[in-house]
Amino acid sequence: MKRTLFIIKLIFILLILALAIFPVILSSHSWPVVSRDYLYENALSDTGAVNTVSSIYLGYRAMDTLGETLVLLVSITGTMGILINLGRENEEEEAVSFSLAPEKRATNAQRTHLLEVVASKLGPVVLLFGFYVMLYGHISPGGGFQGGVIVASAIVFLALGTETQTKLTNTNVLGRIESLSFLVLIIAATSGVFFESGFFGNPIKSGSSLSANFIILLNIIIGLKVGTSIAVMCIAMMGGRRGH
Amino acid sequence: MVIERILIFLLALVGFSAIVGAKNIIKKVFGLNILNAAVVLLYILEGSRIGEQAPILGEGVTTIVDPVPQALMLTAIVIGVCVTALALALAVRLYKATGSLEIDTISERLRSEH
Repeated sequence: MKRTLFIIKLIFILLILALAIFPVILSSHSWPVVSRDYLYENALSDTGAVNTVSSIYLGYRAMDTLGETLVLLVSITGTMGILINLGRENEEEEAVSFSLAPEKRATNAQRTHLLEVVASKLGPVVLLFGFYVMLYGHISPGGGFQGGVIVASAIVFLALGTETQTKLTNTNVLGRIESLSFLVLIIAATSGVFFESGFFGNPIKSGSSLSANFIILLNIIIGLKVGTSIAVMCIAMMGGRRGH
Repeated sequence: MVIERILIFLLALVGFSAIVGAKNIIKKVFGLNILNAAVVLLYILEGSRIGEQAPILGEGVTTIVDPVPQALMLTAIVIGVCVTALALALAVRLYKATGSLEIDTISERLRSEH
């Protein structure tokens, strides 16, 4: 009885969903080309970025990006607030490392030599690649968010692998970098108001020969913010606040 | 053309049924992620109908895809990550409080405490 009720519910839900989604599946209406053509002709001269996606989310619709970073900030605040009481309360400033001592590795099934060796060697390389993606976001695929996520994975690699204590895996240091980069983002967003180019306008348009300078600046700030906040969340979820 | 949409619809159904049907909290979060990925794929697919090349201007680039859905989906991916992190943190708290990730066991144990 309970099972048939469940099946009836499931069929009902599928029907409702199909009703909502079938117009999308069966639609033969062609995708509008107006915005594509406009961006193809004007995006480079308007914002200076070759990558049109960058010129949208850091040029035309930079306010969206501010909201997005706000969402990320709220999310990391909530996550840390939920997770913070899990461990012991020690606020000492120490770097976090999850690597096992060499004599314990042979007996641990999940943490072998392989993970320790590979992760610690891979960390700096991935960090460099993350900064490359972040800095070249205006002329190639990539940008602040993508580079930031790669930086975050590099920090997780460093936390997993190295026995040497790096400051980069300390949640206090990462949290400070994050809040500082958010402050710089707000300053950069409002500074255009004082230079007669409006909110999120380019305040350094005339002072430089590089036309995409403001987009590069925003990419670096957003990359640092995203990278450090996701790294802080990952380290907190691995139990980094507790030490060991 | 319709085939890809139907495949994405099936992917969305997989995610939706995981959210509705799975008893494990972690599987529910996975379902949320799959649903998110299906929506992202749908937008990218529809935006790519009017061109062949990536939206990066340069020499010899004539027919780019629509960059607007890609910029929108950037937002969607970031917010998906935020939602996943919050949900997993809540799951960790629930596991610490009740010792289980199955929703039936959790509700049973919470009821027996009161």
